[in-house]
Amino acid sequence: MKFFWIQLVLILGSVTLAFMFIRRWDRANTRAWKRIAFSVFVVVNIYAVLRPTDVTWLAHQMGVGRGTDLVLYGMVLAMGFLTLNTFLRFRSLEKKLTDLARTVAINEGARLNEERFDLDLPVSAPVDRSKA
Amino acid sequence: MSQYDDVWLVIPAYNEGQVIADVVEGARKTFPNIVVVDDGSGDDSAKHIMSTGAHLVRHPVNLGQGAALQTGLAYALAQPDAKYFATFDADGQHQTADVEKMVALLREGETDVVLGSRFIEQNGQVPWIKRVVLRTAATVSPTARKLKLTDAHNGLRVLNREAAGRLRITMNGMAHASEIVSFLAGSDLRVAELPVDILYTDYSRAKGQSLINGVNIIFDISLRERSRR
Repeated sequence: MKFFWIQLVLILGSVTLAFMFIRRWDRANTRAWKRIAFSVFVVVNIYAVLRPTDVTWLAHQMGVGRGTDLVLYGMVLAMGFLTLNTFLRFRSLEKKLTDLARTVAINEGARLNEERFDLDLPVSAPVDRSKA
Repeated sequence: MSQYDDVWLVIPAYNEGQVIADVVEGARKTFPNIVVVDDGSGDDSAKHIMSTGAHLVRHPVNLGQGAALQTGLAYALAQPDAKYFATFDADGQHQTADVEKMVALLREGETDVVLGSRFIEQNGQVPWIKRVVLRTAATVSPTARKLKLTDAHNGLRVLNREAAGRLRITMNGMAHASEIVSFLAGSDLRVAELPVDILYTDYSRAKGQSLINGVNIIFDISLRERSRR
């Protein structure tokens, strides 16, 4: 089987995605890398619009037929990263929401139950029945 | 005073208004200390819980059963006299008699956690298709195998203070059962199983987990962050 550079790029991209699942991905330095990647993406974008024939040349070098196909492959990878990034962001938000809601619930609950049972002790303590 | 003053029942409830008051009052005949976590129910569950002698903790939004359990445990752990913590279902499928047996076993001091099992004694109550799936889950789950559990997804558990204090449920949804088992397997806590009776009523069958939800559980578990712990 003939080796194409595009295969290496796509496989590396997929492996990186898989690693992102396992490793934590919201540290400051990974955030910096994401920003660098985005800047590069913008620059490459502008270049590709200005000189589409260069993209086709690059595609040929990597073993891809047309420049459009190379862009498509790139988009599939970018899409994967984007999805995963969103997913991880949502998960970390969900965790924060849970902690917040739990704190609110427990504080509110403690106040409410103290009122309901008229106690400063846990409910297991015998309520003074002599008055009843 | 009751001999169960040091036991706290944690009952997560989501839209259980129909039955929650009966279940709580039934359980309170034996266990005076109950905390019901209303997981952001859209129905009148909270009102029904308020009519009982149970403590009520309300999630402002719906978070899931795992989150509700962790909240309830945190609340119960804050009670100074609490020594044993039982997780109990809101739909009336668990029996207080089983909790009594489990607490008695814990009191002997040989174990830290007692899990209920539907399969130690075959009693024919579990619908057969559910039996097959749950047995398979227990058999293929590496953590359940390590603990030699026969039932990895039973909602009835009793923990002592040490175990309850160390448990951190992070899976908000239904995957918490697997998470608890894998936490126990990774810890040095001593775990035992006791046979329990489950009442599969029409109500609990309708409210219970559908088997297709098992797909969600497997997905959640496989995506869990492994870096912590």
